[in-house]
Amino acid sequence: MPKKSAKPTRPQVRATETSLSVATDPKGRVADRVTAMAEASMTICEDDQSFRAVINVLRDPKEPFEVRNAALQALGAAAFRVIEFAPCRSDYIATLRALAEDRDPTLRRRALGTLAREKDGYAQKKLIEGLKNPDVALVSPEKALQFLSYDPHAEAYAIAREFVKKPPNDEAKAEALRLLAADPKSAPLFEKVLRDKDELRDNRQLAASALYSLNPGKFQKHARAMLLDKSEFEDIQATSLTALAQFGDQEAVGKDEPLLKGIQKLGAKTRSAKYKKNARQFLARHGR
Amino acid sequence: MRNRSEAEFARLVDSLAADPHRRGELADLLREDHSWYEQRGTATIVRMRGWVLIALARTGVTDGTLLFILEELDNGVDAYLIAAAATALRAYPSPKAAFGPFLVNALQQIRYRDEPISFEAYGAYAMSGENTTAVRELVKTVAWLGPHARSVLPDLEALRSQSAGLSKELATALDQTLKAIKNNEVNEYGPAACCDLPSNLANKMSWLRNYRRSSRPIESAIFEDQDGTRFSFKEFFRGHPSIVVFFYTRCDNPLKCSLTVTKLGRIQKLIEQHGLDDRVNTAAITYDPDFDLPKRLRAYGRDRNVRMDARNRMLRATAGIDALARHFKLGINFIESLVNRHRIEAYVLDDEGRVAASFARLRWNEQEVIDRAVDLLRERDEEASSIDGSKHRAKGAPKKLALLGSIASVAVAFFPKCPICWAAYLSMFGIAGFNQIPYSPWLQPIFALVMAINLLSVWLRGWSTKRIIAPLIATTGALIILASRTVSGWEKLAVCGVLLTLAGSLLSAVTWRPRKSLAFFAKKSLMTG
Repeated sequence: MPKKSAKPTRPQVRATETSLSVATDPKGRVADRVTAMAEASMTICEDDQSFRAVINVLRDPKEPFEVRNAALQALGAAAFRVIEFAPCRSDYIATLRALAEDRDPTLRRRALGTLAREKDGYAQKKLIEGLKNPDVALVSPEKALQFLSYDPHAEAYAIAREFVKKPPNDEAKAEALRLLAADPKSAPLFEKVLRDKDELRDNRQLAASALYSLNPGKFQKHARAMLLDKSEFEDIQATSLTALAQFGDQEAVGKDEPLLKGIQKLGAKTRSAKYKKNARQFLARHGR
Repeated sequence: MRNRSEAEFARLVDSLAADPHRRGELADLLREDHSWYEQRGTATIVRMRGWVLIALARTGVTDGTLLFILEELDNGVDAYLIAAAATALRAYPSPKAAFGPFLVNALQQIRYRDEPISFEAYGAYAMSGENTTAVRELVKTVAWLGPHARSVLPDLEALRSQSAGLSKELATALDQTLKAIKNNEVNEYGPAACCDLPSNLANKMSWLRNYRRSSRPIESAIFEDQDGTRFSFKEFFRGHPSIVVFFYTRCDNPLKCSLTVTKLGRIQKLIEQHGLDDRVNTAAITYDPDFDLPKRLRAYGRDRNVRMDARNRMLRATAGIDALARHFKLGINFIESLVNRHRIEAYVLDDEGRVAASFARLRWNEQEVIDRAVDLLRERDEEASSIDGSKHRAKGAPKKLALLGSIASVAVAFFPKCPICWAAYLSMFGIAGFNQIPYSPWLQPIFALVMAINLLSVWLRGWSTKRIIAPLIATTGALIILASRTVSGWEKLAVCGVLLTLAGSLLSAVTWRPRKSLAFFAKKSLMTG
């Protein structure tokens, strides 16, 4: 017999009712309300009145941030139970949209993050507007780029490329690169970042992973060149070695004498036991 | 069009809706490949198309726009577009039982992903729970159907019995609707009527052999399959009927690409069960060839039980999708290289790679697609047997005609000029009793006519086989016969004329080959495996 969703027992219902009345009582202590909100999260949608009360707490800017934040978390947890939460979803989405323009930056960021994961058109529109015009931005550019990267169909590639060219900070550039990792047109950009020794190592690692995904052939070519480049950083060479070992054309690699010698040298000169081991395993695989 | 703003688009839609003479243009704005949709994100396209549907809800829905509305209900997953489509459907002149399954389907799809909707202004997003929702609009439209929804009553009741997914208010509204449907005594819509769409509405199109678009413009287009093997369109798609579907791996609508490729896998199994797996090719072609590299194609096909071998492939066009989009007239648009909106589309190609049938917008039935492929095989077999039949008929004909023509030539050459000559000729055959045949001067023009027909047929055969030596010999012979009959003293040359005519006619008959014979035998051997 198919399992029915577990209905709360009578004492549990009473406990939940109590939790909800504590959580939504404006006169209660903040700490108690936060705890009660977490306790009530699984049953918020079972009763229209309780749900409405929690929504009202979340929407009310006069309520303490901690309680509103707890209400947002409780609703987020309840929303995971997709079937049970379905009758409440519409109000929840509307509330998140309203919250996206709240005065509190944390609530704004969390609401926009949740909406972005739902690929919500309103959130995407607001995030793009904010990237184009920082005066109306609801979150930092790096957060906006991160949220937009949840949906490859958002109109964000062109803006992200602009941010790679002129990033307001390192985080924004990294997020822009991460967003572009699914854009085949950006493969040449990743080649450039990958080979740029002045670029942040994290960005170069990110470029390596993106280029492998978008154009494995090109990546293998660059990985070989970087392994043979004596002035290249050791960690980048190690990444290249791992990539060649995992995804490279093993037949071609096995016949590539200069490359195998380069890996021998890397294994000999590195102080990292991990890199030594990787080089040894790679060479062993090709009979060295 | 990318430089034109969404506000301009909204004004255009409003002005078209306000002008009774231009309302028909709203349907054009629902084509995916419309330039208005180029280089825009999916969320923007949702706002734009949604606004067109809302305009239709105000102005009325015709049979021309109905398919776009049913498409959203059939395979849409966006709450705004589903709500707009449900609203627009109520502007169709009359409710129809055929709409019931679409509404039930949309309810099942969206009930766990419902959203607040605002139709107040272009691009408006609802910020409060007071607004309408997709489920609310669908329930309203079911109520509008009234007794016409009787055929889907069991589905609606099943939906209602699952308590989750509907708010109390919506559950009450649905209860009232169900009660109204049940209480209505009129039951003229039996189960058979449930799936009949209006007669002028179809998601499938077929073209007769002579009206199919040539595949020549894309014959040299290069494809790469799931294993990285490259070949041209001509190499894979010519010689067999093919079933082709379009998809892309980053599609986030499970009712479109993922389902389409899964159904292709089912088609392959059915083809195998019908014993047609060596006669029909299948292919799934990606809309996103820059991203969908062979490895991704293979994984996507494998995860959906698609058979991948020499006759069944997952493909990407190495030079991009543009040429294919033109050939297949794909319903698609892009933001950079990524698809921003597309319709469901499956095609059946004939053995020349031409589109013989297409299934677009609404979800298609696997068996229907196979049936069209079988029709094409039948069409090919019939064509082959017709060539075969004419070949057999033609086989003995030239030789018979050559013989008859040669006899006519002899007759013309030696036909007696008068009754006395006739008597003299016949006296030579008196022993056989031929002397009883009366002299008939009208026989001469008849023999001449038969000789002329023979000559014409020899020339036609020569023209067809590109060998004119036989007609030249026969013509020379005929001219000599004519000369021997008209120029005094040349009578003895008649024998020479007869021999040349005979030689030319027989040579023509021996060298006769139907022009299509090689192609026919090649096809025949492929057909029989």
